[in-house]
Amino acid sequence: MSMLKIENLQVRAGDKQVLNGLSLEVGAGEVHAIMGPNGSGKSTLVQVLAGREGYEVTAGSVSYQGRDLLALPPEERARAGVFLAFQYPVEIPGVNNVYLLKAGLNAVRKHRGLPELDAFDFLTLVREKMKLMQMDESFLNRAVNEGFSGGEKKRNEILQMAVLEPALALLDETDSGLDIDALRVVANGVNSLRRQDRAIVMVTHYQRLLEYIEPDRVHVLSGGRILKSGDKSLALELEKRGYDWVKQEAAAA
Amino acid sequence: MSLVTLQESPPPGERYRAAFDARWPASNALVELRRAALQRFVAAGFPTQRQEDWKYTNLRRLETRTFAPAASTAVALGTHEQHWIANAGIRIVLVNGHWMPALSSIGAQLPGMTLLTLKQWCEHDPQAAAAFIAETARSQPNALEDLNRAFFEDGVVLDVAAGASPDQPIYIVHQWSEGATQLMSNPRLIVRAAANSRCTVIEHYVGSGAGECFTNAVSEIQVAAGARVEHYRIQQEAPRAFHIGHVNVRVQRDGQYASHDIALGASLSRLNLGTILQGPGAHVALHGLLAPLANQHLDSHTTIDHAAAHTSSDENYRGIAGERGRGVFNGKVIVRPDAQKTDARQSSRNLLLAAGAEIDTKPELEIYANDVKCSHGATTGQLDAAALFYLRSRGLDETAARALLIRAFAESVVSTIGPQALRCHLEKVLDQRYGMFS
Repeated sequence: MSMLKIENLQVRAGDKQVLNGLSLEVGAGEVHAIMGPNGSGKSTLVQVLAGREGYEVTAGSVSYQGRDLLALPPEERARAGVFLAFQYPVEIPGVNNVYLLKAGLNAVRKHRGLPELDAFDFLTLVREKMKLMQMDESFLNRAVNEGFSGGEKKRNEILQMAVLEPALALLDETDSGLDIDALRVVANGVNSLRRQDRAIVMVTHYQRLLEYIEPDRVHVLSGGRILKSGDKSLALELEKRGYDWVKQEAAAA
Repeated sequence: MSLVTLQESPPPGERYRAAFDARWPASNALVELRRAALQRFVAAGFPTQRQEDWKYTNLRRLETRTFAPAASTAVALGTHEQHWIANAGIRIVLVNGHWMPALSSIGAQLPGMTLLTLKQWCEHDPQAAAAFIAETARSQPNALEDLNRAFFEDGVVLDVAAGASPDQPIYIVHQWSEGATQLMSNPRLIVRAAANSRCTVIEHYVGSGAGECFTNAVSEIQVAAGARVEHYRIQQEAPRAFHIGHVNVRVQRDGQYASHDIALGASLSRLNLGTILQGPGAHVALHGLLAPLANQHLDSHTTIDHAAAHTSSDENYRGIAGERGRGVFNGKVIVRPDAQKTDARQSSRNLLLAAGAEIDTKPELEIYANDVKCSHGATTGQLDAAALFYLRSRGLDETAARALLIRAFAESVVSTIGPQALRCHLEKVLDQRYGMFS
């Protein structure tokens, strides 16, 4: 079943055309990796999918579980099961981590027609997920991402993902800034969330992440378009040869 | 007599003279003090924007109206009770500036303190009362305080005994009678915390009527050596009300005073909060939240006067202006020549929620000593778009996300509120104000 279908997506940010007719299809249960040089439009793609303002979609369509994703405000995308793990998680002083988790989960549950969890069930659930992410319980009562290290912020993103249980997870450079131990924890967390009814799209610069989270498909994004797709061996080839050969190949075609 | 002179209205202050003569026809020492205060008020008139301290606040609307001194009136419990904060402390209710024993929860005197109405004090010990009023007039010349001095009827006089520490806050509610309009109330609060005593005093000005009334309140707070006073001032007057407050605080050696100035109500509100640190070790903490909405104009002018060495102060004001609301914060810090080793910190942070909103913030530092630490910072900004998107991407709708960020912005002030009932009340009010549950 198609989870996400992007057709000929064209996006401007200010004066700049960032996505240039991008097409991509992701099925349920699949893990896709999107790689590409700096400025190729990787982060723009996931931000647009999550509903960030400041981008103008000039052409194309995005269908999520058969619905027009671009017509929904960000919160409705989240409630419908789209989750973005931010490259730079935002620090929000004065808002409790646990409060945000609870508000988010209840919004999602309400959308699914489920009752709100009571305090006990909620904490039981969160504690279990925190164990998975090897996070100390003290994180619950700290302000969202405030004073967190880079690794703690990324773990916190995956913790939120684990609690919200999205159908489509978009991971924006979740591996950047992580040391090898933190990377392993984050990757374990993501792997434990792989399911037949869930799709994961990872944006990354490095093949390293893909050693831990094995993708079904790898795409090269450059100049706002997918230039080449393949299986995980493509990532290894990119690691060895860089991106130029892909660009040349595409130009020749 | 020319037509022009006929149409000329008397100076605004003059209009209060007739009301004064009707209210206090007889003469005694206190009435003479009142009369002198009235003369000063009439001579000085309402402050104008030409005065630096009133640059951002225009009292023209207040000045052009005539408010009659409000008389004591019969009250119905139901109309007043709904505005009270439950379990906030020992409740004293003033309606139109007059103590209403039937609405108050105080019975017998409590150990460690003496609690009187100002009216009782003036009747039982007129000399002491007159001397106290005269003393405040000497040290704080100010036209609107003089207006209060001329017309005050009632209020609360709280004396906390040396070393005493009453276990409950004193919760003073100021309300208007149903349908009140064009009335003026000039209540006074006097708190004298003797050496090493502790107390918490909550002033709650609250209303929801459609009338146009004018509160002109004065609080005198004396914190003796080693004493600690927590002072809450929650201003939630009705939408068309005028509210002027004057708080004058003196803190002796090792004494501590904390103010929590929460301004949410009234059409026009101004607080003059003056503190003097008079002995080494004295500490003052001023926490404030100004949250104008609609066409509200909310102004807090604070002064922290470090008059002795080794004194410290910590000031944190937050402004949140929405719609066409206007906030004004002026934080004056004076460090006298002898006040070496002063440590003064001031922070003013402001949030503008709409294009029509405005906040004017100004630190004003006068430092005459050389060995001091003084810091200040002021920022004004809008809600963080990245934070808003982050919250929405987790499923919160835009209104809830905005309300949550506004609450978070106010948190550094809200979190200083000790009494749980009060903090819950304020959290609820803020959530409703910014539509968290709409």
